[in-house]
Amino acid sequence: MPRFDRNAPLWAALVVFAPLLLVVLLLRLVPVQAQAPAPAQITVYSPQTSYSVSLLDVKGQPYVGLVEVLEPLGSLDAKPEGKKYKLRFTPAGGRTEEAQFTEGKDKGKVRGDSYKLPATFVVQNGRGYVPLTAISNLLARLLSTQTEFHPAGRRLFVATVPERFTLDMRAGNPSRLLLGFSSAVNPTIATEPGRVRLTFRREPVVAAGADKVNYDDPLITGASFSEHDGVAELDITGTAPLMANFADGGKTIIVTGAPPPPPSMAELPAPAPQVPPLPPAVTPPPRQPATPRFLVLIDPAHGGADIGAAITPSLQEKDVVLALARRVQRELASHGVAAGLLRNSDIGIALDQRAVSANAARPALYVALHAANTGRGVHVFTELLPAANTSPQSFLPWDTAQAAFLDLSGTVAGSVAAELEARKLPNATLLAPLRPMNNIAAPAVAVEIAPPSENVEEIASAAYQEQVAQAIAAGIVAVRPKLPEVRP
Amino acid sequence: MSRRIVVVFGLLLLIALGLGIYAWHLKRKVAREEQVAAQQQLAMAPPANGLPTPVTLYVASDSMATLGKSQMSIVLPPERSERARAVLRALFSAYLKSPSPHPIGAGADVRDVYLLGDDTAVVDTNTAFADGHPSGVLAEELTVASIVATLTADDSRIQRVKILVNGHERETLAGHADLQRFYLASNIGQAVKDLQ
Repeated sequence: MPRFDRNAPLWAALVVFAPLLLVVLLLRLVPVQAQAPAPAQITVYSPQTSYSVSLLDVKGQPYVGLVEVLEPLGSLDAKPEGKKYKLRFTPAGGRTEEAQFTEGKDKGKVRGDSYKLPATFVVQNGRGYVPLTAISNLLARLLSTQTEFHPAGRRLFVATVPERFTLDMRAGNPSRLLLGFSSAVNPTIATEPGRVRLTFRREPVVAAGADKVNYDDPLITGASFSEHDGVAELDITGTAPLMANFADGGKTIIVTGAPPPPPSMAELPAPAPQVPPLPPAVTPPPRQPATPRFLVLIDPAHGGADIGAAITPSLQEKDVVLALARRVQRELASHGVAAGLLRNSDIGIALDQRAVSANAARPALYVALHAANTGRGVHVFTELLPAANTSPQSFLPWDTAQAAFLDLSGTVAGSVAAELEARKLPNATLLAPLRPMNNIAAPAVAVEIAPPSENVEEIASAAYQEQVAQAIAAGIVAVRPKLPEVRP
Repeated sequence: MSRRIVVVFGLLLLIALGLGIYAWHLKRKVAREEQVAAQQQLAMAPPANGLPTPVTLYVASDSMATLGKSQMSIVLPPERSERARAVLRALFSAYLKSPSPHPIGAGADVRDVYLLGDDTAVVDTNTAFADGHPSGVLAEELTVASIVATLTADDSRIQRVKILVNGHERETLAGHADLQRFYLASNIGQAVKDLQ
């Protein structure tokens, strides 16, 4: 037996705890390995839209999917043929261009001319990927337009001039820093003691001058701009708590000192003196009632790790519905109907969160898109709930919020089905207990597309999706007068 | 550090490693056994005695996107919840045969049917039923409607049906159909009409 004369407590602890610690570590090994870090992404800004695309790591080099980048910018038909990967792309209002690459080769063709990639072309699950460093030049060639790529920040500007914002420091009591933008912005604002951080995900903002500015001010001491992983961040630091207010319809953000927290009851002086008026600069103007507007919110189901139905081993529901959603959005726009997407990239959103976001957007109509290989053609669903006598304006229970809108939802479903019928697309109008449609406080339908024929892959064909998108848009436009506009 | 201490520490490390691997192996073994047990549950259920009784099944067809009413005769146990379970097992067996009009997960089974009061049935399915169910609004809607319609057709006192998976509430069947709600016989009737 070994003798533990020296450092006895240390050895006793080691003998007791080391095996336990190792067992715990080993048992935790599998779940720890399963937690992959958030995927890196690139954000693309174009005049029509801005969106994020996840990157694929190929032997330590970032690659980006051609379908994911091109689909939001126009109509795309891309398919692998053996080792070859052919794509036909028609930008909005432009003419069709073709490109072709070969798996494992770095040479391809773009608009009939030979094109060399900095690394080999990769095909995974039937999707073509090019090195990230090539995407800017490739898009410029394919779209015949100017592009600007910020590799460190992973931000790509396509036919869009980056928007430069201005910083205007106004000394005073309290000091104010005015951030000026040429159009309205909607960054995420995070505050912590002595700091305000504005994160721009969808706005193509860049700094007008130096990335870092220092101020000789007792309150606001500096501002620094940075770009990383597809977002832009503006960090404003100060010596006291700061806050940010929007002004000028979102074109100006005013950063100033946060008001001190209200004193506790014990600290309150007995006779309350006259309350000093707030300084005019931070007094919000009286809010005008917002004008009602007609917004269609399109919800491409699933996303991220939730792939939805596996239509074929290489074709997933989440991708099929995102492509269809973008087509429906374009079709609606061509009819002058504003439409937003609940997700415009491959991200996962929980069902409850989808309903929360949809209800917060206050749409005139919610359209969920699904795809499956059950049956043929298109199925239009409304929610399977007993009709409620509650008014849509009253307080609605979360689980049955949709019940108050079933009549209008049925009207939309009928109209979409009629348009599908007019295009000779097999269709049926059905009821379904579908999450999160039951939580939607607006007229709502779900459209599930199935393959039009025995060839299951036709579900993703541009021609079929275009027909379906046209029918959905036409169906919505036909009943628009019956759907009330909603104040945002 | 003396050589003896290093040897003891090394031995402890080996023991710990061995324990860890053994625990991991046990964990996998239990999971495997649970899966096999679930798959064998249908075949291992004791047969009921008595004369076959005609029951109504609402059988889904994926290719037609319909729910068809059909009759079959099975031996039913005397107890009401056991009868409901036997009827649903007959429905599942129609889906589990090959070729299936409406495939569901291999090894899918009804673990139990509980009756709450006179009018509420809680159907407890196994994990294989939900985990292996094809994903899709129509596919899941057909399954839910066929379960509820079959149950209420064979026991007219059942007015509300809730579906559990392995004794627990689940958000959706396979990403679409809501499994958190109680289905009303009166409400599902309209869906069944549309699917016929």
